[in-house]
Amino acid sequence: MNADERDLLEGLQELAAEGPRQAPVHMEQRLLSEFRKRSRRRRARAWISAASAGAIAAAIAVLLWIGPLRPQHPVLSQDAAVFADETTAGFYPLPDADGLPPVESAMVVRVQLPVASLELIGFPVNQDRDSDPVEAEVLLGQDGLARGVRLVD
Amino acid sequence: MLESPSHSDDDLLRLIARGHEPAFVEFYRKHQKSVYHFAFHMSGQTEVAEEVTQEVFLTVMSVAKQYDSRRGSAVSYLYGITRNFVLRCLERERPYIATLDDVESEHANTLVQERDLLGELARNERIESLRKAVLALPPAYREVVVLCDLNEMDYAQAAGVLGCAIGTIRSRLHRARALLMEKMRAAERCAV
Repeated sequence: MNADERDLLEGLQELAAEGPRQAPVHMEQRLLSEFRKRSRRRRARAWISAASAGAIAAAIAVLLWIGPLRPQHPVLSQDAAVFADETTAGFYPLPDADGLPPVESAMVVRVQLPVASLELIGFPVNQDRDSDPVEAEVLLGQDGLARGVRLVD
Repeated sequence: MLESPSHSDDDLLRLIARGHEPAFVEFYRKHQKSVYHFAFHMSGQTEVAEEVTQEVFLTVMSVAKQYDSRRGSAVSYLYGITRNFVLRCLERERPYIATLDDVESEHANTLVQERDLLGELARNERIESLRKAVLALPPAYREVVVLCDLNEMDYAQAAGVLGCAIGTIRSRLHRARALLMEKMRAAERCAV
């Protein structure tokens, strides 16, 4: 190593020690609050998924039970559309429901959700009570996926 | 806080993916300095360094569950994210970064008054010239200098971060140092 190289490496060491060494303190707080927000959303989604899964299981059981009583010929699709419109009225759409196909035939299931999950549909939520249960109706589409939520009183 | 602050990065990323807040805090405190330092020395701007650091850790929150330790170390994974953001910022702010005024205004307040004022001035001038020379290097050379010489990473780690062979790191670093020495000599000639 020649003298120029030695000088350069010394200079680089000094440069490394110069200037700001770390991110400002407020950044940790900002990131933490974002982390909390995302965790709440994740928990709420998990609750809704679990509730939907339970609802689907119940729906399948009901369908198996009433299956033999169903008419041979299905109802006309026009009627189905009207039925869907009437049924979906009053439900708040879930954020992930936009990408799903439109509801043709629906099923409504009553479930208990944590208050935190209401944040997903835009309700202001009291952070201290976000794990309290609240009674709601979940709208399931023909594919068994949740489309919306409606509060029961 | 976690009971034992000695979790491996792999464990921390797994916990972060599950929404474990203390794990995120530990991971952030452990790595924010090197992320910030790398972004600062690559851009020469505190604003860019702050923006990149924030974006990197927001990305970690979102993609921690996709981390696979078989594909590389957590440090390489983190630097990979950092590098992408830095290069994006450099591309966006190309006309503004590394200009003489910007760098001088960033560090004008870091001058320290010492007894040997002349010596201190000469030292500051030398560091400032070197900073400008580093910032003027092409990004491929600049990042090896920042990783190996300023962030004290060894060749193997730097190769993991940049996704290339150790020989490539060695040759880029050799070329980068030669360019820096040329620039420093030119700056000295101008000063005389």
